[in-house]
Amino acid sequence: MRLYKPEVEAQRFWNPYTQTMPRADLDRLHLRKLQTVIAYAYARSPMYRNLLDRNRVRPEQIRTLDDFVKRLPFIDKKEILDAQAVNPPFGEALATSEDFFHQRFATSGSTGAPLHIPLTYHSAELWGESWVYVYWAAGLRARHSFYFPFNFGIFAAFWSAYMGVRRLGATVISGGGLDSKARLRQIEQYRPDVMLATPTYALYLGETARELGMDLARTSISHVIVAGEPGGSIPATRQAIEDLWGARCYELYGIAELGPTNPGCPLREGVHLCEEWYHALVVDEAGNPVPYGEVGEHIVTSYIQDGQPLIKYRTHDLVRWTDEPCGCETTWLYYPGGVLGRTDHMIIVKGVNVYPSALESLLHRVGGLSEHYELHVDRDATNDFVTVKAEARPDVDESRYGDLHRDAEAVIRSVIGVSIGVAVQKPGSLPRYELKAKRFFDHRPAAHRWQLAERPGA
Amino acid sequence: MTHAETLERIRDLQARVRELRQASDNPAIERTMQLLDLYCHMARWELGDVEAMTPEAEGR
Repeated sequence: MRLYKPEVEAQRFWNPYTQTMPRADLDRLHLRKLQTVIAYAYARSPMYRNLLDRNRVRPEQIRTLDDFVKRLPFIDKKEILDAQAVNPPFGEALATSEDFFHQRFATSGSTGAPLHIPLTYHSAELWGESWVYVYWAAGLRARHSFYFPFNFGIFAAFWSAYMGVRRLGATVISGGGLDSKARLRQIEQYRPDVMLATPTYALYLGETARELGMDLARTSISHVIVAGEPGGSIPATRQAIEDLWGARCYELYGIAELGPTNPGCPLREGVHLCEEWYHALVVDEAGNPVPYGEVGEHIVTSYIQDGQPLIKYRTHDLVRWTDEPCGCETTWLYYPGGVLGRTDHMIIVKGVNVYPSALESLLHRVGGLSEHYELHVDRDATNDFVTVKAEARPDVDESRYGDLHRDAEAVIRSVIGVSIGVAVQKPGSLPRYELKAKRFFDHRPAAHRWQLAERPGA
Repeated sequence: MTHAETLERIRDLQARVRELRQASDNPAIERTMQLLDLYCHMARWELGDVEAMTPEAEGR
């Protein structure tokens, strides 16, 4: 027996009503949703009431999308943290009473205080729903089983993916409480169809498999869905995962405090904005929306977060957006290449924008280099400069490191047009990670990093 | 079934679910009706019928 009727299961889209809606209709629908969320936040969240009052805006003044773009201020993580600090853990950021909470999450606080993230049952269902768009696009249905190779904790990471499997009606298999070797044995035993992981961990399991003498391409895994860091939309990284697992690799781009904002496109060259549950702008440093086709900071409004609303929230992620059809026939906005980097990771070398994701892609072109690397950025009087530390593959003799170094620098120079130093490292010399990898090390003074203007329309 | 007909049926279902929730004195039934109300709300948003952010929370 199947959960969905055959004619429904065969459909391309999870919700064809909005996924194929013409742009003008989508924008009209966005305006109604934005007005609803803004009125809700203003009425119930002291933080938003103060923010709008300070900016002399009232919800009923947002009559058009242009009003939304020009009149409403951005909000940043620091303002949420300040509002939470008034009466921890949620303080003035909260818009509902705690008896509506379904679950609480928090960020690690590695760069300051942890951000607390309340989730109502309604929000949890919709976080899950946002994942279903990529599951469905990848051809996954209720008959498939999903393996989660990590420990669920206070971090939101992959909880929403789990909620999505429940929403789809499929099977969850948890690899919590196990080490990597035991997880691989569990995959052999339970034969799941899908594995969810960061790109880093999906590749790291390859090293573990080699130690076990196990060929991951011969396991039951037919789909690897990656999230948590760029990689799924970087062709070389995606190819490395697909070759390792003998599987198709898809991506979802999400943000801990907002949820799964961008399910991957089935054509796998980028991600779409989940316009059912999110609105987005992509802006330049002055806060003005950049034209379609250009890169800027991703500013997101959630229709999901009723516990702690987030409107025009600065993600600090750099994306390129486009309204051009990508080929999968959805009308939802498309971000080719997924996340290109972080605004605080923006590097300008001799006037050329260099994106960390582009460097990762180029390093994969150099035969003999592994997927493990670090970018170190510093600045002299006039320019950023970058040094890449890249690990050689275990089967490459150390006498060839000089060739690898020259090949990598030549590939980068030929594609990006500027010189970037590459230092080849021995296998195993760079740290390994189970969730997100730390690859970017910024040694520049703060004044030389991306600075978004305080208000839009400046 | 057309889009309008689907929405009409969902709205009607939601109204009846709310009535039953109010009428029931059984905790299990009240919780189940509460969740059905929420799913009706979700279904309406999915079809572009934007009424409220979360009626349950906004009502209290």
